[in-house]
Amino acid sequence: MLLVLGLLPLYALADCDNTSARARAEGRAVIVVFNTLPARIRVGELFSLHATLCANAGASPVRAFKVDASMPDHRHGMNYKPSVVRQTEHDYTASGLMFHMPGRWQYVFEVDTADGRERILFDYLLD
Amino acid sequence: MKPRGLLLGLLLAAAAAVQAAANGPESSFSVDEIRQILRHGPWPPAVSGDPSNRVAGNRDAVELGRALFFDVRLSADNTMACVTCHSPEHALSDGRDRARGRVRLDRNTVGLWNVAMAHWFGWDGAADSPWAFVIRPILNPDEMAATPRHVAAFMQGDATLVCLYRKAFGSRPRNDPERVLVDVAKALAAYLGTLISGKSDFDLLFDALSRGDAAAAAKYPADARRGLALFFGRGQCHVCHFGPNFSNGEFHDIGIPYLVESGRVDPGRHGGIHQVKRDRFNRLGEFSDELAGSSGDHTRHVAQNHATYGQFKVPSLRNVELTPPYMHNGSLQTLRDVVRHYSELPVERLHQDGEALLKPLNLSEADIDSLVAFLRTLTSRQFPQMDRLSPTCK
Repeated sequence: MLLVLGLLPLYALADCDNTSARARAEGRAVIVVFNTLPARIRVGELFSLHATLCANAGASPVRAFKVDASMPDHRHGMNYKPSVVRQTEHDYTASGLMFHMPGRWQYVFEVDTADGRERILFDYLLD
Repeated sequence: MKPRGLLLGLLLAAAAAVQAAANGPESSFSVDEIRQILRHGPWPPAVSGDPSNRVAGNRDAVELGRALFFDVRLSADNTMACVTCHSPEHALSDGRDRARGRVRLDRNTVGLWNVAMAHWFGWDGAADSPWAFVIRPILNPDEMAATPRHVAAFMQGDATLVCLYRKAFGSRPRNDPERVLVDVAKALAAYLGTLISGKSDFDLLFDALSRGDAAAAAKYPADARRGLALFFGRGQCHVCHFGPNFSNGEFHDIGIPYLVESGRVDPGRHGGIHQVKRDRFNRLGEFSDELAGSSGDHTRHVAQNHATYGQFKVPSLRNVELTPPYMHNGSLQTLRDVVRHYSELPVERLHQDGEALLKPLNLSEADIDSLVAFLRTLTSRQFPQMDRLSPTCK
């Protein structure tokens, strides 16, 4: 039994069920659970994003994770390029995000695994 | 509900009571309008200090900056001070289409009221702090044309300024002209931080709605009230002119030509990003007083791409009535011209992949009048005194 547990990939143990106060963006291979700092995003102010990545059953480990955002209705993205730092096996911090207008934004999470690249979109309304 | 959300909820409830109590359709505001209004105040907002400037908010530095602002000796030939182009008679601008330094410059002079609230400075955002913003005209050969050596020599030769400098910075100006130049700029930036204009009629409306005072809210002029509805409604002006200072602090292409003269274009934000990234005086450089903190994050993360070409900063609309002509090149003479520009927006001049929100508003003459009336309610009723005082120091 111990041997079996040892063979389980670590990423499968990330806590993506305990998502209180965190948003949850579900992809085909990966679930991104995240919150921002500060929690309330303000127009024109930089913020950070803390994300936990959990692989769905059978998915390969995450090799790379990127964060971006756009305003699809306005046809433009952010004026800033976030940098992402891997904090632990499952946890990432993206800094340097800014939503410079009120309206519908869309987070773009880009996840690379051995099986390929997946883009996970998540809508957010900044009022 | 979080405390801030609770506060907004209470404000909206109070404001809704105002709406219910207000008399007649002209004096009432819809719940959505009230919500929008309450996102554009209070005024003045709480302003955090500038960690990159150790003398921001320092009273002695403000006094030194005030003295320097009016002093023509800061320029190479003792003919030009900051106030030469940033005149109190023109709301700290110059009333010209394009600035006049030693030559005619490419852009409209930026007004300085409330300027320190920004995170980028200048039409192209080539400066990332108030003090870096100040250094540019001092050193620009087409403006004050000074050098660090000139500035240091001028400072060290004036006993009163040396005294003020010592009080602000804790020591005499060092034998390091570049450091003295930066300290001079930081003292000027400390002074700029005090140039906060007073409340406007819009702020009085904000205050009335915030405290649920129907009678006071009803005093807001009817023509401006129609303009307010356009500003926050069909015009969508608030999407960029957002927040207490009526600017999101960022950059857009709104179809104003950026050809300066035959064969020469103004790259706008594209050039500004290039400059600020390589600027020795930026917040990431050795002259910043906070290298390990977050004050350099805008510069660290700002993204360059082709869409920034021809973008210019979204100006604050506070006191906009007082700073004609308008736009980065001063090409529009009046507020009516500006509103008409958005009414007839030249879509063919916009980036193909630019802001999709921008479409001609097709405003009537009455609509234009109303929007101008609204913009005039953003003019402060009072301004701090800016009399030139002979500096003293003991």
